[in-house]
Amino acid sequence: MDTSEREDRAAQRKAARDRVVGPVAGPLRRAGLLSVASALIWPAQAACVAWVISGWVSGQADMTATVMAAALFLAGALLRALLDHRAGAILFDAAEQTVERERAALLRREARAPGPERSAAIAALLVQKLPALRPWITRYFVAMTKVSVVPPILLIVAFSQSWAVGLILLVAGPLIPVFMALVGMAAEDASRRHLDEISTMNDMLMDRVSAMQDIRLLGAVDRAVAGFDDRADALRIKTMAVLRIAFLSSTVLELFAALGVAMIAVFIGFSLLGEIGFGSWDAPITLGQGVFLLLIAPEFFQPLRELAAAWHDRAAGLSVVAELEALDAAPRAGMVGKGEARAPLPGALSIRLSGARVAMPALLLPDLTLEAGEAVVLTGPSGSGKTTTLAVLAGLVPLSEGCLEVCGASLSEQTADAWRARLAMIPQRPHFGSMTLRTFLDPRDSGADPWSALDLAHARGIVERLPDGLDTRLGETGGGVSGGEARRLMIARAVMAGGDLLLADEPTADLDADTARRVIDALQSLHRQGRAMIVATHDPALIAAMGRVVVMPR
Amino acid sequence: MRSLWHILRLLVSAAPGAMARGAALTLAVLVMGAALLGLSGWFITATGIAGIAGIGIAFDVFRPSAGVRLLALGRATARYGERLLTHDATLRALATLRVDLLRRISVLDARALMRLRGETALTRIVSDVDALDGILLRLFLPVVAALVTHVLVFVALGALVGWTVAVLVVAIYLAGGTVVLWRLARRTLTPSGEEETRLQDLRRGTIDMIRDREALILSGQLPRREDALIALDAQARASARVLDRAERRAGQGLSLIVAMAIAAALVGGGWLVIHGTISPAVGAIGVFVALALSETLLPLRRGFAELGRMAGAAKRMDLPKAPSMAEGHAPAETASAVVLLLREGTISLDLRAGQAAALTGPSGAGKTTLLLRVARLLPTEGARIEILGSEVETWPEPDFRTAVAMVPQRSALIAGTLRDNLALAGEADDAAMWAALEAVDLALTVRDRGGLDLRLGEGGAGLSGGQARRVALARAILRRPRLLLLDEPTEGLDSATAGRVLNGLRNALPETAILAAIHRGADHPIFAERVEMYR
Repeated sequence: MDTSEREDRAAQRKAARDRVVGPVAGPLRRAGLLSVASALIWPAQAACVAWVISGWVSGQADMTATVMAAALFLAGALLRALLDHRAGAILFDAAEQTVERERAALLRREARAPGPERSAAIAALLVQKLPALRPWITRYFVAMTKVSVVPPILLIVAFSQSWAVGLILLVAGPLIPVFMALVGMAAEDASRRHLDEISTMNDMLMDRVSAMQDIRLLGAVDRAVAGFDDRADALRIKTMAVLRIAFLSSTVLELFAALGVAMIAVFIGFSLLGEIGFGSWDAPITLGQGVFLLLIAPEFFQPLRELAAAWHDRAAGLSVVAELEALDAAPRAGMVGKGEARAPLPGALSIRLSGARVAMPALLLPDLTLEAGEAVVLTGPSGSGKTTTLAVLAGLVPLSEGCLEVCGASLSEQTADAWRARLAMIPQRPHFGSMTLRTFLDPRDSGADPWSALDLAHARGIVERLPDGLDTRLGETGGGVSGGEARRLMIARAVMAGGDLLLADEPTADLDADTARRVIDALQSLHRQGRAMIVATHDPALIAAMGRVVVMPR
Repeated sequence: MRSLWHILRLLVSAAPGAMARGAALTLAVLVMGAALLGLSGWFITATGIAGIAGIGIAFDVFRPSAGVRLLALGRATARYGERLLTHDATLRALATLRVDLLRRISVLDARALMRLRGETALTRIVSDVDALDGILLRLFLPVVAALVTHVLVFVALGALVGWTVAVLVVAIYLAGGTVVLWRLARRTLTPSGEEETRLQDLRRGTIDMIRDREALILSGQLPRREDALIALDAQARASARVLDRAERRAGQGLSLIVAMAIAAALVGGGWLVIHGTISPAVGAIGVFVALALSETLLPLRRGFAELGRMAGAAKRMDLPKAPSMAEGHAPAETASAVVLLLREGTISLDLRAGQAAALTGPSGAGKTTLLLRVARLLPTEGARIEILGSEVETWPEPDFRTAVAMVPQRSALIAGTLRDNLALAGEADDAAMWAALEAVDLALTVRDRGGLDLRLGEGGAGLSGGQARRVALARAILRRPRLLLLDEPTEGLDSATAGRVLNGLRNALPETAILAAIHRGADHPIFAERVEMYR
């Protein structure tokens, strides 16, 4: 690991502390205390058992004493269960608070100011990855608290009974941090490899499922499946090679714990027989002390094993935090206004855009004016910023320079929502969410009858042909309707949205001449009804059908 | 639950050997753990008695102490082996699960396959497969090992300590464990299904909100949509809370069962000791073994809490089993002069070897549907479609795919090299691959980008739309089919390239009958016939 990587990790841990641990530090501390208290009841329970067994030998314990001790043992267990339950509740609340906060922050930000990540990646982070913070919060920190408190206390208890047993544990003591580091690193590596393996297999699976139609048409199902199997096998062999080493280090920990307990057992046995004369303080070790020590020795190592098990929760949690931090730092284009429903901006329709630039992507915009009822074509080579210009006019992208006046007022946080109430827009790529066509066509929730809008967009036939009509769910890519049909449905939606200005982005792209004609007809009938429009296109037929041409600046 | 059972059988059959060895070691770990604590407890008590009686010299210390050390070492070693073997078996099983899923998906029709290509459907499949990854490691193996351990412990305790103690300890563990875990599984069944549904809704809703951002902002609906998604998150977390409470209560129950078993062993053992039936050292064995048995029970909690999620995933993945591909007979007469006979509505087409026909018509007229029917990816629904003189339905799948190839409109490439993609068409040497790339006018483009070893990302990322299209066409050429169906083969190509590609196709496959749905370039000289479709 080189220096920069180590610094990265340190920065990552600090970010994680500030972001995730900080807000729930109080509950984590309380839960840690409860867990420690619960762990420290065990020595008392062990004492009950030890007392009864030594009583059997000395003849002091009769049935009543045995039952009494068993009842005390049970009472201790009940108390432990209650404490653990309570600690679990506190931890769950802390984890929920974190997940809730992070989810709400993502949901409130990602649509307003989209960053570089695709929507599916954001959704995966929100739904799949954020819950990885839960086990980290609920397991790791408590395990950490227990490791720092429980073994030292048990060590003191062991020393008070027999310095030799204490010594055996003490020898294991300094080795604990060493093993923690070893196990931690290896477990982190192991869990990362395992996750990598799973995600590679999943990517392969998604890839093959997406291509399945082609695979089938090529008669290649057997070949593709065999290929998948081979790659999965190769991946498995690679993963196992790593796991073999990773598991070894946790085995060392287990071995250490087991041998420690075995050594204590053997030492106590020999002492009780009188074959070993050292190890105790003044009087020789008694049977009761022996049983007691044997029972608490495994608990000395238990927190360590819990920590080792929680280590990969920490690794998973840290990687989620890293992703969140990266997303926070990503450059974002914002929007103007809040996106709320408002009464339309008053005044005659007009647009005046002059000397305008945007920062993301860096672009110079054309000077543009528009009056009520006008139709303007915005043209220029692809990549020259036609889409961005339309977005600026709708207040979806803020200006970095220049000014935009709408209906005589400057487009600002205060006016943007009201201005948008007068607009409708046809984006270049149709997107149909998981909703019925009826809902889709009525973005402002007006409840109006969609058929006249469908007629205007030459789209009545499309809906009538669909088996469920207006109740059809089209799915994310508009499957079930062709590209031209999807475009005309978007026009109908724009009609339903109302307003007196339509912004359309390449409405005839990728359409055959015949279908493009129908789309142009639909736009023209809208224009005849008095709607102003700005159309971004480089389709000559569409340019010819519209009025004024504005060319994008170089 | 039945689907879960099917999946379990499939997983176990993936690597029965490794699974059995892993299970044996899991068992060994549990049994050695019980033996280690039992022996240690006996040893200390027995030495204590001997020390008090002053007969320490006569006591054989070496065999028990060697046993303690051996068991400690053996247990750690067995644990290592167990983890390796069970992980290996699980990885094999999960690969098998994915392969089986691919096979089942491969027989779905075109519409179902289209639906699966969406982002949400794909992530759903993946999350379901992931949900099933705990069946073996967290449920099946530990439950089986725990049950067997209890049987062995029952016999051993009965013989060594007394049947009273054996019955008490094992009955408390088995009855208590069954009740608590059963209740846990039942209580989590509904909320885990609800949580899953709500999270999937949240995922879809988030994607929709971000993709539909502009429309939402324009219509002033964005804050409302955000509120709705935040409310959905609250619902999902409410289900998670119910699950967590059930799991914690189960945890509480399980730890009390362990304590009850220990207390029972104490009282039962005490009874036998005080009545002089057994020595105190033997009485201690029951107590220590009851303590060690907690390792069989406590780890089961997580597996049972996930049972609901697993059952839901298993149910969704229970697609109809892939029918065996060898059914039906190859048509006896394959030398028919007419390669494709098509009678559907107004269409009447007889396509012979070496002929090419262009299928034209406005978008939405059903060109793609018709091609998919000919390619048997959709039911023929009354149309008369014969290939080489036999109805398409009567062809066995492998023979049909050898005779008919199709390049769909949205053809997909796979991640891997260009060679991997071309090799999907079957065994072919490099020369044949280069010839096919030459025919689609792509050889020059890829030659200096790594040639056949050019690496493509997921879905063929790295190539432009037009280039990807031509790779799909080259793949079809390598199949050398009797009938080639093309859906918009020239989309994304400029007209000069489109012309070269169509000529290249014709020259590379002179004997093949070609039917192409095409809206640009239908007047290309290779198309002797034109079939017009109307709405």
